[in-house]
Amino acid sequence: MAANCIMCDVAIVGSGFAGALIANELSQKGIKVVILEAGPGIPPNINDYMRRFYKANAKVPESPFPPELVDSKDNLIDPANVAAGRPTVLSLLPDKWKKPTQSYLIQTGPKPFTSTYERLAGGTSHWLGTSLRLVPNDFRMKTRYGKNQSNFTLPDWPTAISSQMMSPYYARAEKELGVSADVKEQKFLDIDFSKDKDKDKDKDKDKDKDKDKDKDYTYPMPRIPPSLLDQRFGDALAQLTDEETKFLGMEKPVTEIKVRSLPAARNSQPYRNRRACAGNTNCIPICPIQAKYDPTITLNEATNSGARLIDHAVASEILVENNLVSGINYITYENEAGPKTGDGCVKAKIYVIAANAIETPRLLLMSKNHGQPAKGVANSSDMVGRNLMDHPYYVAWGLLPPTAKPVFPYRGPLITSGIGDLCDGPFRAKRAAFRVDIGNEGWNYVIAGGEFGVDPQVTTLDFVNGMNSGGLNTSEFSQLKNNSALLGAGLAQKLNDLISRQFRIGFLVEQDPDPNNRVTLSPTFSDALNLPRPQIAYDISDYTKQGIVAAFRMTNLMFSKLGAHNFTVRRKDDPTGFDVTIDGNPTPTQLNFGGAGHIMGTYRMGDNSKTSVVDSFQRTHDHNNLYLVGSGTFPTGGTANPTLTLSALAMRTADSIAGDLKSRG
Amino acid sequence: MRKSPHHRHHGIAPPATPFEPASEVSRRTMIAGTVATTAVAAVLPIAGSAQAAKADPDMVAFLLLSAALTGVHVATLAPEFGRDANDILNSDPGVDPINVKNQYFARAKASDAATFGKLLQVAKDHPLSATDILTAVNAGDDTKFLARSIVLLWYLGSWYNPDDLKTNSTPGTRNFIPSQVVSAKAYTQGLVWQIAQAHPMGYSNLQFGYWSREPRDPNDPTDRSNLGLITATIP
Repeated sequence: MAANCIMCDVAIVGSGFAGALIANELSQKGIKVVILEAGPGIPPNINDYMRRFYKANAKVPESPFPPELVDSKDNLIDPANVAAGRPTVLSLLPDKWKKPTQSYLIQTGPKPFTSTYERLAGGTSHWLGTSLRLVPNDFRMKTRYGKNQSNFTLPDWPTAISSQMMSPYYARAEKELGVSADVKEQKFLDIDFSKDKDKDKDKDKDKDKDKDKDKDYTYPMPRIPPSLLDQRFGDALAQLTDEETKFLGMEKPVTEIKVRSLPAARNSQPYRNRRACAGNTNCIPICPIQAKYDPTITLNEATNSGARLIDHAVASEILVENNLVSGINYITYENEAGPKTGDGCVKAKIYVIAANAIETPRLLLMSKNHGQPAKGVANSSDMVGRNLMDHPYYVAWGLLPPTAKPVFPYRGPLITSGIGDLCDGPFRAKRAAFRVDIGNEGWNYVIAGGEFGVDPQVTTLDFVNGMNSGGLNTSEFSQLKNNSALLGAGLAQKLNDLISRQFRIGFLVEQDPDPNNRVTLSPTFSDALNLPRPQIAYDISDYTKQGIVAAFRMTNLMFSKLGAHNFTVRRKDDPTGFDVTIDGNPTPTQLNFGGAGHIMGTYRMGDNSKTSVVDSFQRTHDHNNLYLVGSGTFPTGGTANPTLTLSALAMRTADSIAGDLKSRG
Repeated sequence: MRKSPHHRHHGIAPPATPFEPASEVSRRTMIAGTVATTAVAAVLPIAGSAQAAKADPDMVAFLLLSAALTGVHVATLAPEFGRDANDILNSDPGVDPINVKNQYFARAKASDAATFGKLLQVAKDHPLSATDILTAVNAGDDTKFLARSIVLLWYLGSWYNPDDLKTNSTPGTRNFIPSQVVSAKAYTQGLVWQIAQAHPMGYSNLQFGYWSREPRDPNDPTDRSNLGLITATIP
């Protein structure tokens, strides 16, 4: 440990959503906070990120953000030569995911884990902005659906956590992130929007009656309007019959299923000095006008209130004395490629690890601490790094018929609406639930399974050069001769005609926790700071596969109602692929999945310290002054994008920490 | 050819009004510059190096060629193109507010100066006929594939090597062809997005809520997507 440690009240590792929110909540109360950030700090503006994005040949989610992904010859940079590396879409492609000279994650399979994250101030800003509350049954999977099944793998959340208890914390998170949505539209599956009445009473008894009058919650901003495609899906959904949708196992009338706007941390009107969304169709990777929230916004407020952000500082060891954390060591560097240029340490009363569900277990497992405690920091349960989950993402893409009105993709936010009503029901006893995303970006990254590049580039190239990578250049779809090579006005008109009828949908499927889906430390491969890189073992269960099967069947049903031709293909070399038999069909159906970027479960919360790592406040069972935050604490993932829930839990943790410090005096 | 009734309104623009969109495009660019300041102001150097106002027949030929190849008005490719009614090849290519033409001209010439010269000559030989230009361009493999690279430059802002296009030109080929984004500006000016009545992902000058309405909704005066963009005539 370096000689002179930085002293503070609360030390936080990581400046993403959870870290930034907690830093800000505590700094506002005058608590002295230090944040260690592994990557670069907050730039003065996002111009440099935008330049990198525009100039990138592959506009993948990581493309705007440092460190560099590729060298001057477009070859992936070896993660051994990166100080603070991270998984990237390019390094997870079928021919790369198992190559440690290209992939930061060391993957042992059998399936690839294909979600990514960033390591820089503000964390994973390449998020969509979707800010859904979990539905009540998401917190009670075992009780609600697995009581009589001994092999049911989905546990309950801690007893203290419920839809109602979470409601005021969700509200605080929605206010901080700036969520646009309509409560009436979001009130389904019994999601609770009640306010914290008890708290109001304590605060101001005289105003109690007025508060009660105002008990209907409203989101900070009105909803984001639906796209033309959303409206078309709504029309198609209205045509479904109960008979056709029997396979879903909803046990309720199909007429109750609706296309609803997605609550989004995307301004629908000016909010907190940021402007309204202008529909740049680029939420991922980056909003050029910051109409979408990212944690640098909260981080700036935290540092304005006195929080200290130390960038280029990679936490390398958590120190424990007498079962309490006594300090955190970190390594500093200057260049993206390393090497280490120095080290430091920070001492605090309370410690928070907010480094996402792969880097947090990595740090816990790296903290050897002379073998005290024996299984590693916070790991008496042996659950650290286990139960890695994502929302396996099934995508399908189609073309509307020439007789249909075009839907004009590449207009508006990437996703504006979805079908959430299908994410809970009695079927969850047998198969995974899913939530449907309706995409506004045509065939952008889905075309041909991503094998030949992205759209509109691929479709353009097909018709300029007489190729057929995307599948549209045949007489059936072009109404021209097969494999036409066009120039001039004919080319422009054909592209207008075809692109404006392209669409895609995606299904976020629930993944049940499996202790063998696991983050450990690579015994062999390290980064440029000589720290071991994360090693991942990953697979999906039959429960999850059956959810993907239901998604596939729902796709076919919806596409038939739209009169759309299904262009979905699985590339030959897709390592996520699996074959299933559906309805006794002798030809197996080829299915696959992608990563949703929703990394969860690796230090889960629970009431029992033998089967979980943290309690409902996200405080470790083992160490009274150590909190682990972020979606790594989720015992189950439901189907909602995790950001809002992890932000709400961070609010509750911030309150808990403030309480701890107060009681210590 | 089967055609959607909904596409009727953006068919081939009448030849009588080829210059109508010029002022629109200039204005759109200005709006974009104002709206997306964070994205653009510091990212893109102000266009328009001190180019001589006097006619550059090679550049004019390149623009006429490009209009024929892309099916997009010269006035969209180079918004301040000043047509000389009597002598089209001596028109003023203009110092325009978009000005990607110089980058594209240089990129194509650097690839194969001799073939590029042939393409310019084709445009000089047929300065007023897109059909004749396309026929001549397709007469030889050298000009055909460099012409395709030029189309892809204008449509996507990316350079595809003509040799790679030739290698992958067997009808129905399915393959990945590498490409390089020419510049940040080139990406944001890619024409395929406008042709699709959309905007490059991450670069839009439209306003909140436009996505709920069709392009060219008469109730949405701010949406000028693809207004009279496509043409089969030059200039």
